[in-house]
Amino acid sequence: MIECSRGSVGDALPKVQCPNHPDALLVEDYRAGDMICPECGLVVGDRVIDVGSEWRTFSNEKATKDPSRVGDAQNPLLNGGDLTTMISKGTGAASFDEFGNSKYQNRRTMSSSDRAMLNAFKEISTMADRINLPRNIIDRTNNLFKQVYEQKSLKGRSNDAIASACLYIACRQEGVPRTFKEICAVSRISKKEIGRCFKLILKALETSVDLITTGDFMSRFCSNLGLPKQVQMAATYIARKAVELDLVPGRSPISVAAAAIYMASQASAEKKTQKEIGDIAGVADVTIRQSYRLIYPRAADLFPPDFKFDTPVDKLPQL
Amino acid sequence: LRSPQKTFPIQQKSATVTGAMTPGMPIFSPMMPYGTGLTPQPQQQQQQQQQQQQTPQLYHSQTVTTTTALPGNTPMYTTPLTPMTPITPATPASESSGIVPQLQNIVSTVNLGCKLDLKTIALRARNAEYNPKRFAAVIMRIREPRTTALIFSSGKMVCTGAKSEEQSRLAARKYARVVQKLGFPAKFLDFKIQNMVGSCDVKFPIRLEGLVLTHQQFSSYEPELFPGLIYRMIKPRIVLLIFVSGKVVLTGAKVRAEIYEAFENIYPILKGFRKTT
Repeated sequence: MIECSRGSVGDALPKVQCPNHPDALLVEDYRAGDMICPECGLVVGDRVIDVGSEWRTFSNEKATKDPSRVGDAQNPLLNGGDLTTMISKGTGAASFDEFGNSKYQNRRTMSSSDRAMLNAFKEISTMADRINLPRNIIDRTNNLFKQVYEQKSLKGRSNDAIASACLYIACRQEGVPRTFKEICAVSRISKKEIGRCFKLILKALETSVDLITTGDFMSRFCSNLGLPKQVQMAATYIARKAVELDLVPGRSPISVAAAAIYMASQASAEKKTQKEIGDIAGVADVTIRQSYRLIYPRAADLFPPDFKFDTPVDKLPQL
Repeated sequence: LRSPQKTFPIQQKSATVTGAMTPGMPIFSPMMPYGTGLTPQPQQQQQQQQQQQQTPQLYHSQTVTTTTALPGNTPMYTTPLTPMTPITPATPASESSGIVPQLQNIVSTVNLGCKLDLKTIALRARNAEYNPKRFAAVIMRIREPRTTALIFSSGKMVCTGAKSEEQSRLAARKYARVVQKLGFPAKFLDFKIQNMVGSCDVKFPIRLEGLVLTHQQFSSYEPELFPGLIYRMIKPRIVLLIFVSGKVVLTGAKVRAEIYEAFENIYPILKGFRKTT
């Protein structure tokens, strides 16, 4: 079986390339342990050690005996590639000395320098799991955290705060921003501290992020509220139009999105209250009321042309 | 541009006379307490209209900061805009904005030079509060100029809330006098203005999204965190808070000229991001 090597494995691994075709993606033949160039067939890497796990373990199998002798798959990107030896607790009678204590008592600390980083990765994984973030965002977050941690410019800040801020930045960079309040909900850090760390990290890494728009949050908010696709599309259109016509200058895009969802849902069969929308979006219902008051006068222009009104525009609630 | 209030009426009368000041013009008029050092200039350059456009700006700032509320107040020293700051010639391509930022707050520190017993100060002085569990300083307030001071037991003092450099110095002196009257050998050492805050209005709405796109190495605009754009200007080192309405807050200055310079730098940029609707 031939397994294609991933081209973008990361900058930490040393790159082997075919001398004649440096751009060609090498094909890995792990039966023989070779890396072969597909263009000319040259065997570039010889006797390559497979760093994957030894056995595939599944959660439903009886896990009394874990046949893996090499431990977890190596994570070279983020760990600094340490090659330490760990001695685990023995199983036979010979592992106990005369008093009944086990020999080789504690596992030596495996990587004290990366201990905090590993802890942070675990925390990031927990946080991301709470809001069901995909693997690519978690990887990006881990990468960001590693860069920030190595830079040491934010050393005094709590690692959890930096991890939360990295998670926020990663979501933004992947094009699926989460609001600060959503990150707060899965983290123990306050919004203020996450905001501060966010600005510091952007400065430290010298990157910038795109501005958030109302459309980024529509699909998530609407599906959390259980609104049909028609209403979601209408709300997206309303919010975009409202921003284009500059009806809501200076308002946070989240508030405008919430008000647009309110207007769209009130015009359809699935009416949602301001409180429900406020709960999902993380905005106060008075905020939704304020933004709604700004877009209400031009309601007729804001709806998409093909929208089916359950409640006509003039019967929309006026707050 | 030159409104009658800005120019000195005495000068207008003698506008036809070029060159030296007429003997009939009173120099020490109550209308121009600071301007005497600079009065020769506009007279000499009456022919050059461009120069005149620059000078009213400086005069305006000076007249604005005149503490007309205290008629008896004579300045201890002239404002920093005396001859030592050169008047920059107007470049033909750009014109001055005509808007002058107003100072809103001055924070200054001074060393009274002796250790103080905060408890006696708090008990004997009027308008003083001292809560050592909350904060280790006496918070004292005076009504004229309306300021607040934090007085520490080391003898150092922070004075906030004044609207001009002169007022800040005067207020600090008043606090030092209060402390002196309470029996401490207070001196007035190392008075230094630490921070000046100014604000102004450009009178047109601004497209902050455009500004953050083009100046992203200086700007930070996060509507979730703060509704205004935070612009960190490198030269001079000033932080500006720019809002959609067109209001601008400038802070971080040690001298008044930095605020003015920063505003002059940002004004053409903001004009470029004016909302057209």
